[in-house]
Amino acid sequence: MTRRMGSLVWRIILLLWALSVILPIIWIVYQSFKTNQQFFADIWSLPSTFQWSNYSKAWTNLGVGQSMLNTVYYVGLSLFISLTLAVVNAYAFTKMEWKLRNIVWSLIMLSLFLPGINILVPQYTLMRALDLTNSLNGLVLLASLPLGAFELLLLGSFMRSLPKELEESAFIDGATIFQVVRKIIVPLAMPGLVTIGIFKFVALYNDFLGPFILLSDPDKYTVSVNMYAANAMMEYKSDWVTLLAGLVITVIPTIIVYMLFQRKIIEGATLGGVKG
Amino acid sequence: MKTLTRTNIHIQKTVFLLLAVLPPFAAYVLFTLYPNVLSIYYSFLDWNGIGEKKYIGLDNYIRLFQDPVVLNALKHNLILVATVIPITLIISLVLADLLVNRQYKENKFYKVLFFFPNVLSLVVIALIWSFIYDGTFGLLNSVLRVLGIGGDHNWLGSPKTALASTIPLYVWCYVGFYVVIFMNAMSAIPKTIYESATLDGITSFQRFTKITLPLMSGIIRVGMIFLMLNVIKGFEYMFIMTKGGPGGATEVISLYMFNLAFGTESLSQHFYGYASTIGMLIFVLLVLLKVVIDKVFSKDSVEF
Repeated sequence: MTRRMGSLVWRIILLLWALSVILPIIWIVYQSFKTNQQFFADIWSLPSTFQWSNYSKAWTNLGVGQSMLNTVYYVGLSLFISLTLAVVNAYAFTKMEWKLRNIVWSLIMLSLFLPGINILVPQYTLMRALDLTNSLNGLVLLASLPLGAFELLLLGSFMRSLPKELEESAFIDGATIFQVVRKIIVPLAMPGLVTIGIFKFVALYNDFLGPFILLSDPDKYTVSVNMYAANAMMEYKSDWVTLLAGLVITVIPTIIVYMLFQRKIIEGATLGGVKG
Repeated sequence: MKTLTRTNIHIQKTVFLLLAVLPPFAAYVLFTLYPNVLSIYYSFLDWNGIGEKKYIGLDNYIRLFQDPVVLNALKHNLILVATVIPITLIISLVLADLLVNRQYKENKFYKVLFFFPNVLSLVVIALIWSFIYDGTFGLLNSVLRVLGIGGDHNWLGSPKTALASTIPLYVWCYVGFYVVIFMNAMSAIPKTIYESATLDGITSFQRFTKITLPLMSGIIRVGMIFLMLNVIKGFEYMFIMTKGGPGGATEVISLYMFNLAFGTESLSQHFYGYASTIGMLIFVLLVLLKVVIDKVFSKDSVEF
């Protein structure tokens, strides 16, 4: 009997934590369908009619639509470039012999020990000197071009496990390195690439500091920066339900991606945790 | 013929390396390594970002040690480290133990749900919690009103509660991640260890404290380091929710650095030099803390 009771207590603890995660989100959705009057009058009251207009207002007036387009561009292009670079570099570092390989590898791994917080200022002045601020392409460049240690480690260990015979026979048949990477390595590395890709997608979609520092033109804001700016604006016009609707819109892509790929995301995040 | 193909392959390899490795490596050196060097140089300057760079020697470092804002911010960092880390670790360990060692049918779903805050953006989390803590229409106040205890307190707007209010937010964000990490580690503990202990008549509480925890000390240490790095580096929640206010009540060291460099529109209030000096302080702090944790805890780790 006491055993049963104990078990019940533990299950309630688990349930409470689950509720603490999900209730705030449900609450935001619930409020986003009200009018401002209802929202201020009584936050528990059910929305009398569903105010879908909050959502269209958020999309156009709050700039959520434009920022969503910017984010698709920023995230899409960054993902494409960084994943391409990750594959070819993982190949170059694990499957090819070249002179400076070990030095270059250790220089890249050095980034795992650098906290990164002290480079916010110099990185910004550097981007400004190169005329790359206030530009989505500048953001893409900073997010995708520098080699990342995490991608290299993950894809590299995967590639080391691939048998050498596969490429060797292709080389004997006269294939170039580019062909081997594209036709043999990429298909084989797909599972690892998907893990990195989804993990990077979440990181890029949520990125706030980089876009906030580098973008000054509201037309170029990404969703995170846009929601930040929209919230700051509410001090002057308190249209909270529209803000909440905007918040819900920005969370929807996250929820969809999470529902589709939760296993991969959890796997990638715990691997990426190595970086701290 | 043979030598020709060999040169051919050699050229191909060189072209591949020049195209594939050189640009991203150069970008890494330029945008990651070089700024680390630059930040040392900047820390000796008096510079607003636009005007002339003025070399002022150690002045910024002297200012750093006399700056009451730095001391206040570090105090807040210390409070956060001392609360967020133990609370997060204890909750994560208990939840992970429940999910691994008790076969409730809802456990699979919980693991996925608990992790969910990790995929939400900082801005979304900060705005959700601003709404929870709001003085008039906040969720917390509404619940308190229903319960009949208070319900009109502006949690983030009052200097007394602002910093403490951020603690549950941090815990809420981090727990899911450590639940997953600890679940992986717990699943790796051989079942035979538990079985022989159960035969000796050990209770499940003893099993948790006497077997699970000691065997996990290595991963718990890693968790502590990650949490410490994140808590000291992070300032985005404060920046979005309180801007360090009210009256410096939620000022943390990296937020101070950020505000000095990017805080206002007016150029006269940009201090790139001094901000970089504070960046160096954070850098040294983080490296030192990591070394200390490694020293203190390295003896305890258990192999199995």
